[in-house]
Amino acid sequence: MGKTTGFLEFPRVTGTYRPVAERVGDYHEFTVAPSHEDLSTQGARCMDCGIPYCHAVGCPVFNLIPEWNDAVYNGDFKDALTRLEATNNLPEITGRVCPAPCEPACTLAINSAPVTIKQIELAIIENGFKQRWVVPYPPRHESGRKVAIIGSGPAGLAAAQQLRRAGHSVTVFEKATRLGGILRYGIPDFKLEKWVIDRRLKQMTGEGVAFEPNVHVGEDISVRYLRRTFDVVLLTVGAGLPRDLVVPGRELGGIHFAMEYLTQSNKTVSGEGFAGETISAKDKCVLVIGGGDTGSDCVGTAHRQGAKKVYQFEILPKPAVWEQPWNSSWPHWPNILRSSSSHEEGCDREWSVLTKQFSGKGTVTEGAFARVDWRKGAPTGRQKMVEIAGSEFSLKADLVLLALGFVHAEHSRLTDELGIDFDDRGNIKFRHDYSTSTNGVFVAGDAGVGASLVVRAIYHGREAAGAIAKYLKG
Amino acid sequence: MKQEGLYDPWYEHDACGVGFVANVNGQRSHQIVHDGMTVLRNLAHRGAIGGDSKTGDGAGMLLQLPHIFFARECEHLHISLPQEGLYGVGMVFLPHDAVRRKAAVSIIESVIATEGGRVLGWREVPMRPDGLGDMARSTMPYMAQLFASFGFLRGAELERRLYIARKSIESSAKTENFTTTDLYFASFSASTIVYKGMFVAAQFEHFFPDLADPDFQSALALIHQRYSTNTFPSWPLAHPYRYIAHNGEINTLRGNINKMSAREKSLSSPLFGEAIAKLNPIIDTSLSDSGIFDNVFELLIQGGRTPEHAIMMMVPEAFGDKYHISEDKRAFYEYHASIMEPWDGPAAIVFTDGVKIGATLDRNGLRPARYVITKSGKVVMASEVGVLDISPEEVLQKGRLAPGKLFLIDTARNRIIFDNEIKAGVSRRKPYRRWLEKNKIDLRGLFQAPSSVLRINREALLSRLWMFGYSREELKMVVQFMAENGQEPVFSMGNDAALAVLSERSQLLYNYFKQLFAQVTNPPIDPYRETLVMSLMSFVGRERNLLDETAEHCAQLKLPHPVLLNEDVDMLRNLDYNGYRCAVLPITFFASIGENELEASLRELCLAAERKIDQGYSLIILSDREVSESKAPIPSLLAVAAVHRHLVKVQKRASAGLIIETGEARDVMHFAMLIGYGASAVNPYLAFEIIADMKEHGRLPRSLRLENAIENYVTAVKKGLLKIMSKMGVSTIRSYRGAQLFEAIGLNQAFVNDYFPGTSSRIGGIGAREIARETLERHASAYAKNDAEIEALDSGGQISYTHHSEKHFLSPDVVIALQRAVHENNYALYKQYSSISNDVDRNLCTLRGLFTFKESRGIPLAEVESADSIVKRFVSSAMSFGAISKEAHETIAIAMNRLGAASNSGEGGEDEERYLPLANGDSKKSAVKQVASGRFGVTSNYLVNSRELQIKMAQGAKPGEGGQLPGHKVNELIAKVRHSMPGVMLISPPPHHDIYSIEDLAQLIFDLKSANPAARVSVKLVAEVGVGTVAAGVAKGKADMVLISGHDGGTGASPLSSIKYAGIPWEIGLADTQQTLVMNHLRDRIRVQVDGQLRTGRDVVVAAMLGAEEFGFGTIVLVTLGCIMMRKCHLNTCPVGVATQDPELCKRFTGKPEYCMNFMRFVAEETREIIATLGIRTFDALVGRVDLLYVNEAIDHWKRRGLDFSRLLATPKVPAGSSLRCTTQQVHDFSLSLDPELIAQSTKALEKKEPVNLFASIRNCNRTVGATLSAEVSKRYGLKGLPPDTIKCKFTGSAGQSFGAFLAPGITLELEGDANDYFGKGLSGGKLIVYPPKVSSFRPQNNIITGNVNLFGATGGEAYINGMAGERFAVRNSGAIAVVEGVGDHGCEYMTGGTIVVLGKTGVNFAAGMSGGIAYVLEEDQLFDTKCNLEMVDIEPVTDDLDERRLYRLISEHVKLTGSEYAARIIRDWTEMLPQFVKVMPIDYREALERLQKEESKETEVVAVTEEVFR
Repeated sequence: MGKTTGFLEFPRVTGTYRPVAERVGDYHEFTVAPSHEDLSTQGARCMDCGIPYCHAVGCPVFNLIPEWNDAVYNGDFKDALTRLEATNNLPEITGRVCPAPCEPACTLAINSAPVTIKQIELAIIENGFKQRWVVPYPPRHESGRKVAIIGSGPAGLAAAQQLRRAGHSVTVFEKATRLGGILRYGIPDFKLEKWVIDRRLKQMTGEGVAFEPNVHVGEDISVRYLRRTFDVVLLTVGAGLPRDLVVPGRELGGIHFAMEYLTQSNKTVSGEGFAGETISAKDKCVLVIGGGDTGSDCVGTAHRQGAKKVYQFEILPKPAVWEQPWNSSWPHWPNILRSSSSHEEGCDREWSVLTKQFSGKGTVTEGAFARVDWRKGAPTGRQKMVEIAGSEFSLKADLVLLALGFVHAEHSRLTDELGIDFDDRGNIKFRHDYSTSTNGVFVAGDAGVGASLVVRAIYHGREAAGAIAKYLKG
Repeated sequence: MKQEGLYDPWYEHDACGVGFVANVNGQRSHQIVHDGMTVLRNLAHRGAIGGDSKTGDGAGMLLQLPHIFFARECEHLHISLPQEGLYGVGMVFLPHDAVRRKAAVSIIESVIATEGGRVLGWREVPMRPDGLGDMARSTMPYMAQLFASFGFLRGAELERRLYIARKSIESSAKTENFTTTDLYFASFSASTIVYKGMFVAAQFEHFFPDLADPDFQSALALIHQRYSTNTFPSWPLAHPYRYIAHNGEINTLRGNINKMSAREKSLSSPLFGEAIAKLNPIIDTSLSDSGIFDNVFELLIQGGRTPEHAIMMMVPEAFGDKYHISEDKRAFYEYHASIMEPWDGPAAIVFTDGVKIGATLDRNGLRPARYVITKSGKVVMASEVGVLDISPEEVLQKGRLAPGKLFLIDTARNRIIFDNEIKAGVSRRKPYRRWLEKNKIDLRGLFQAPSSVLRINREALLSRLWMFGYSREELKMVVQFMAENGQEPVFSMGNDAALAVLSERSQLLYNYFKQLFAQVTNPPIDPYRETLVMSLMSFVGRERNLLDETAEHCAQLKLPHPVLLNEDVDMLRNLDYNGYRCAVLPITFFASIGENELEASLRELCLAAERKIDQGYSLIILSDREVSESKAPIPSLLAVAAVHRHLVKVQKRASAGLIIETGEARDVMHFAMLIGYGASAVNPYLAFEIIADMKEHGRLPRSLRLENAIENYVTAVKKGLLKIMSKMGVSTIRSYRGAQLFEAIGLNQAFVNDYFPGTSSRIGGIGAREIARETLERHASAYAKNDAEIEALDSGGQISYTHHSEKHFLSPDVVIALQRAVHENNYALYKQYSSISNDVDRNLCTLRGLFTFKESRGIPLAEVESADSIVKRFVSSAMSFGAISKEAHETIAIAMNRLGAASNSGEGGEDEERYLPLANGDSKKSAVKQVASGRFGVTSNYLVNSRELQIKMAQGAKPGEGGQLPGHKVNELIAKVRHSMPGVMLISPPPHHDIYSIEDLAQLIFDLKSANPAARVSVKLVAEVGVGTVAAGVAKGKADMVLISGHDGGTGASPLSSIKYAGIPWEIGLADTQQTLVMNHLRDRIRVQVDGQLRTGRDVVVAAMLGAEEFGFGTIVLVTLGCIMMRKCHLNTCPVGVATQDPELCKRFTGKPEYCMNFMRFVAEETREIIATLGIRTFDALVGRVDLLYVNEAIDHWKRRGLDFSRLLATPKVPAGSSLRCTTQQVHDFSLSLDPELIAQSTKALEKKEPVNLFASIRNCNRTVGATLSAEVSKRYGLKGLPPDTIKCKFTGSAGQSFGAFLAPGITLELEGDANDYFGKGLSGGKLIVYPPKVSSFRPQNNIITGNVNLFGATGGEAYINGMAGERFAVRNSGAIAVVEGVGDHGCEYMTGGTIVVLGKTGVNFAAGMSGGIAYVLEEDQLFDTKCNLEMVDIEPVTDDLDERRLYRLISEHVKLTGSEYAARIIRDWTEMLPQFVKVMPIDYREALERLQKEESKETEVVAVTEEVFR
């Protein structure tokens, strides 16, 4: 349980980043791993709460945070790993890319500074790999039942591992050349180097998960074949359809969806190569529209490509600036201004900006914008946007990246032929046991719930695997 | 009375006044009968009166057979009576119905004829029932005396024939459907006769004209006045029984009964020959514990043992190493430990066979027994002194029975025989010591230091962990903690996890049981400070004929304690010593066959055990080592209970010992249960392997060697066992074994009847199939996992919340939602909170969650009583300042005061400053002041500044246990309000040392009423089976309110197993209380409050329907003030400043009175809304409306299906004139109080501070003198009181109990005579002086002048006692100064301040738990250090000038005030005497003093604290 009085004795110390000047020169990860001694001190700050809000409210996958904090404090990294792996199949991923909602939910965040949970998580799993503790754990019994998983993103991988370990034969189909889905193509290397994914895939292969990349189910193989061959189909296809910006000039060249841009960049970095027009920020004025994590990733990527100037516009108002280490919205995620590592590398950020139109000759050169005011509107109390008269302004930009989020899962021949229903928002409709309207077909992750965090996808993948195992048992 | 609703007559208790008068020379006279009557009358206040305000609980008298009287009477009746001694007389209770009576008489007469006797005639006993209460009269039997002879048999032979005849009559009567109620022999003897019935003392002599007859003569009279918790009158249950009368309680009764019945088959005696079979069953289970005790006592005596031998067997004194006793005596007790277990419990027993009359006290000495011997040879022994007027000149000696001591008068030999002489004789009757040395089996190597080699197979270890349901939490918090610390873990806050039967997770069978604990009727023991009276030693093996004694009897295995190491079991397996052999039976069943296989395997197991016994095995080991993928373990508890029960049933249980080797046991609860249901010893092999595995993986501190870790674990289990035993008041494992001191929650009746017969289980539940299913679930989980998964044990979640594990009703959502609602004063948000709280799917943790309200026609909300009015029924539960921060404590008080509701001070005292209103009109004064066992800061001033005084008998989180505030938590302010010194540890003893029984509670209620007549007095109980009958006793003791607490109440620090396993949900306890009070016609005079994790308006409504009028909120109030359920209160590290004394952390407190007020108003509003839908307008109309409560059938889960709430929801019949709620008030009788007169005469002093001198005579019925007078002083002058000696009163006579209670500064009470128990209770600054009558001739320093428990909880003042005091002198004294000339056992226990001078002998265990204050003891025999408990104190010579001057001054003052000649001699020979004094100095206290002297009371470091320091 950490050290009884650790939280009174030690301050919160987070990890460090490589210097900006150095890190923008490459695509490697920028965090510097702390020593085990420092980690033990940070673990000592954990109070072993009677109700651990980090675990119960903060963490979407309900990581057993106090248990591994305690183990790390005691220097028992093996035990820490066991407890970490008990709830999370991909801690090396979440330890890198998760926004860590656990930390603002930490009880210490009520009136002090939270435990550095994310950094401890990453250290545990990285040490686990280093010590060769992370090895394949094939099942002891084979059930003889077969499961097809469509999509190799976090939900698909988590489900695949869980189902395989329960003794089922698992095949993961992926339409892209390489495995990992959004992890591989959506997240830049400076946040997640791709060998991290390969390392995990190796373990899963060792456990007996079959991977079929380059197979577009519904196109390359028929749905009929799929249903005939497998007892269960699990859809983990993500919510890939990006939200578009419907304004004049949208059709101009130089305006791209963020995911298109990031995917291409990732392929370039990995040497995979791609077909079609190159989107590069080199020597360009880049405007990123959308203030979320994807937008942030675009900012960081643009810098590394050698952008001249990077702007980021967000339609929502600027969140409050909050410099204190505690969380005024405890235990909930606070709506405060956050600056990512990419922002530190340089970026002009604007809030409450409405995009009116783009202009240019074939290719975009300028955008027109207006400022908006957000007011509390009756009767719902929800904020309403009002354009401020006379606030129009324009900005020169020759690359515009749209990071406005995602609408829902792509509706494809696969979904059509499976005959599954969608919900009002266009996501795949499912019941509490993750089953869709078609018997034997399940869904997990963003495809069902809409775009969300990687860690949530892992959770749904695991839960769906549990439900499928139950279904297969009859 | 039959079982009805939740009421069960098994749980009735009684206690009382006992005594006897005897002529040592055997001279018979009517005067003795008359004296007996007087004694009875003067003990009247120790009895009680029932619901009709007239029916007494029982009184009676045992006398020698008055031959002259009977001869005369028989002549009138034309019965020809033979010579004295040649006939027996039966005192028979018969039915009034003539036909039934005729049938009864014919049974009796025909049996006597068959037995070779002759019925000489019958005499109707004259009775005058006109003074009786209606209840007594309605059940009054027809009483007749039967005269019978058996030829020329006389003496012991005749008695034996009468005994056989009576037992045969009882058997025949039973087959003819007569019960004890309509055919009962109060006595049937040629030497004694018993007169008894449902009286109060005064009615007794009027009722039986026989007793007034001058011809009615006896040399002895044994008397008893009963106080029982129930009021259903039962004439046979009045005392005395045929040989004994008993003030106390047998706690281990169930085990004693089972063991006795198991022995019946092996009984044989040449004295009985074939007839012995007619004696069975030896025990009549329809009698009370005392009656059953009498049955066995009778058997032993008729079997040839003397009364003193029998009583030494049944109630042995403690004979542990700490006692300096003779080797032969120790051997006697050890030898008899292999024959019979103690009948354990607090007891003063008086007994007689008509020739010898004697008395004994249990080993703890928890009942008073005082005696006076006169110069003319009369002995008066009674619960109190002064019950018979004896002129002072006549007194030869005044004494008291000490713990475990015997006192005997042999009227045939005209002698008084004291303890030493009796026991020296009895212990040398046979060569017990030689027999033991030769025959007992002490295996060499057994119980030596454990070796470090343990077989561990990691994979097998892991799968067994799953199979036996271990969680990570348990490994770390239980097993590892015990291995590292040698004690059980301590935890905080209440238990809010789901009840086992409502849990969806697989539960061990143990989890369906709760520990019983002592409250009110019976004191728990302090297993740490008073460990010397406890024992874990037992004999295991084949028991032999109880009526014989031979060398072979003790040829058994002697176990020093019941935890066996793995090597021990290995040795036992191969044992073959003098024919002592051991059989191993596997306890497994085939997993593949499924749920039905379990019971089949159990049946097979039982038969196998029986076969082994028939084959001559003396020891049976049940083992689950052989589990495998195909074989699942039978739950160890079930295996033990099944085999034990089977062997009892076939009467072979006494033929072999039972040992369980199981991987399942790890928690102290598990050990306690296995032993409590029959195991002699337990080998927790898996727990040992876990510890070894931890060591191997570096999870134990490097400095801790494996063998020490294992030893620590065993030590922790041993201490835990002592603790669990002690909370039931049981001292020895021998009597605890098989005593079944548990109740079941969630097991169905059939299952309980089959395997746990006699265990209470009142709401039904699951059975064998479901148990099997849960076992198989665990078993399957062990084999379904791959290597990664099997390593990752379940988190557990029983202790801390974990999403994947157990449900908790204080879930994160509940906490977050509530805090938002009260911060924003937003009722809509509150409704969100309450809907989450009440959400059955997510939060079904409690029984009330299963209930729903009857569909009713609602009324408009506006017509319902206002929320402001309802909120006045709410109180905040007791939380002491010390457990929670000053900030939190005061915020709650302000909030509750603003609402016109009440806050509770808790047990930590209260700062006088808080009695003054604040400038803005707020008040920080707690309306309810608690009086707990620690009596911290309980002064006269504290008591007068309250609206309610609450006697805390138990606490939901740890009923039956004490507590302690570690020194570093005692800061300046806490020390001030608790009247102690900063840095000094403060201990709350497990029992109130002035409440050892129900009549003591009545006395304390009387004391508190006297100390503040305006306040109501309440008693806090914790729900357990039988709490209803205790509540009835409380109502009869005249409390104004009784509080029923649930098991789940919060705590600042409690042992984990107590939080989880003691007490039951309030729903059951409350319903039990309501039903019992209503049926007994007591409900109308007492209010009922409930608390225990109440959270919403729905909870309030359910509780009201079950019978509560008032509602306490504890934990949830803290949540409104910022508590986020850290559960770190015990560590002082609360990060939100609620439950900490760390000034830095206290700054983090952000609670406001408004938050608490918002919550209370929300709850009241929600309550209104619900009762509006029920169509009810006023809250009063809701109370007791259990008819509106239904079980929600929609809640369907396989484990819940068997739950049956029909008993809980039963509607009690309301007797005419009674009510479902409190409609009237208790009538208090102060007619014998002297205070009104004293106050009237003290006006000058009270008004103008002018000195007054008063005089009065006093006797034992004048109780609690000085308390009300003190209240008058405190009201006017506060804590400081009046200047010394402003009011001086001089009394002559024997003072009643609680003389000088809470005496305020400025009052001096002087007493010429003697005093009873509780002299100077809570002395608050006044002065007490007592000395024997000037005309008396005995030496005061050798005679008892004041009773037991003097100066208990004194906070200041002085006392000078010219003579000896009884046991427990100055217990919990925190400031008084006293000089006394000798004390009994346990002197100065738990003392935290003050100065005590003892000028003579002390008993054992002096200064146990003494953390402060100083004692000076005159140590003439140089053996004081053997009697002193040196754990917390040092003994120093008195060399310091300051010490010498102080001592000299105090003794001189003593001489001056009391005229003590003995003390005067000490002063005269000062230079010789001084070196013989020692100074007893608590180590903590010395350090605190030194710190204070250096004036650098630095902030003590915050460190982990634990509840127990004892090792």
